Amino acid sequence: MQNSTFLYFLTRLLFKQKSKHIGAVLISILIIFLLSAVLFISTSLQSTLMQTLKNQADFTVTRLKAGYPTQTPLEWIDKISELNGVSAVAPRVYGQYFFTPREKSFLIIGVDFFEEQNAQILKEIIGNLELKPFLSEDSMLVGEGVKIFLNAHYFKKYFTFKTPQGKFKKVHIHKMLAQESNLIANDMILMPLKLAQEILGMEEEEITDIAFNVPNDAEWDNIISKLHLMFYDVRVVEKREVQKAYENLYNYKGGLFLVLYLITIVTFMLILYQRYTMVYSTERKEIGILRAIGWSINDVLKLKFYENIVIVVVSFVLGVVLAYGYVFILDAPLLSQIFLGAANLENSVVFIPSIPFGLLGSIFLFYAVPFLAAVLIPAWKIAVTSPKEAML
Amino acid sequence: MVQAFFTAAVLLIISIGAMFGHYLYKDTQLLQDHIQKITILTKGSTLSFSTAYYEPRIAIQTSSNPAYPQMQTINRMDFIYAK
Repeated sequence: MQNSTFLYFLTRLLFKQKSKHIGAVLISILIIFLLSAVLFISTSLQSTLMQTLKNQADFTVTRLKAGYPTQTPLEWIDKISELNGVSAVAPRVYGQYFFTPREKSFLIIGVDFFEEQNAQILKEIIGNLELKPFLSEDSMLVGEGVKIFLNAHYFKKYFTFKTPQGKFKKVHIHKMLAQESNLIANDMILMPLKLAQEILGMEEEEITDIAFNVPNDAEWDNIISKLHLMFYDVRVVEKREVQKAYENLYNYKGGLFLVLYLITIVTFMLILYQRYTMVYSTERKEIGILRAIGWSINDVLKLKFYENIVIVVVSFVLGVVLAYGYVFILDAPLLSQIFLGAANLENSVVFIPSIPFGLLGSIFLFYAVPFLAAVLIPAWKIAVTSPKEAML
Repeated sequence: MVQAFFTAAVLLIISIGAMFGHYLYKDTQLLQDHIQKITILTKGSTLSFSTAYYEPRIAIQTSSNPAYPQMQTINRMDFIYAK
């Protein structure tokens, strides 16, 4: 059989029987689209988080009370600084502020604005930020989600916090953090350390935890032992643990999505197999005619293989391209809420493009092989029967 | 028919090209810069999960039901975090 004749026949067959294939193509596109979109979102979030790791502290130390994290004494900073090999010891003050009337919460983070590096970064991320007027009164910088929420509740210039002591604290909304940082700062409020302590109900000598670096990796385990000897009521979180948490975050192998995908794909294959085992009389007739005019079993299977590989490739490519556009151009409306939640403030994030090529390759194989098997096995069963019997 | 088939194939290739074009040439530097700088400023980073107040907001926190703190809770994020 000449290749051009075969190709001509194949394409004619595909276009002539398009109504037969359209259902399988549409369902395949939908499955591939959903799975690829989920993978694109999870890979993008994971790679963004992994990139932030290098700027994070190697260790954080928190005091525990009855198994729960509690305020850490500020004096611990001096004790930790005395350890050999430790650098950049810094206090961290953060906590969630619950806005009772609307049952929403904000993440308050205290920042030492007098530190040179912090002041420099602030100037870079918030174009024309003047520190003097910012620090001259109680002011804060808010994430986009917080800004939208406060605006909607008529807190346009100021917001009044209620401290745990029952006092009211009026804080000026100075500026909004850039939308580009929404992925981590949507519900964030940045304010001076002292102000954050006051709003979160901490004493001056109390902080949330202590962050520090140990530049020599070989010293890490030693430092952990020293910390546990120094303090009995302490929880030490290493960067390695955070890294592991990020690696496991949205892990497709452990995720619900893979289970759902497997159920869907198996169901789809079963439907497909059943459809082709009860092949329509036209299909049986078609194979019978081809066999009667001299096509070998091999030729019939070759035709069916190419016919279905075209369907598989078209569905896969369209599914992946549509998913890419949905996630990285439209920023995954609705589906992003499954990942980031929608119970608190509304978050519109921009995903940084990241394509998991290896995973997409595996999906193609997991999708293409059962698909082809579900079609070729019944076709082979008909092809091996005599043409006369097949056309009955 | 072969021509229609080739037209469809070309359209498919163009769509793949457009996807890779966007992937390779989209300027993501600004986005990454902002996220990195916020991380340095806050000395830590966690996704801005829009979770209920009793669900974990910080990635390494564990959640507990405010009414029954000793009870193990199961929430939406448990399906996403692999434990």
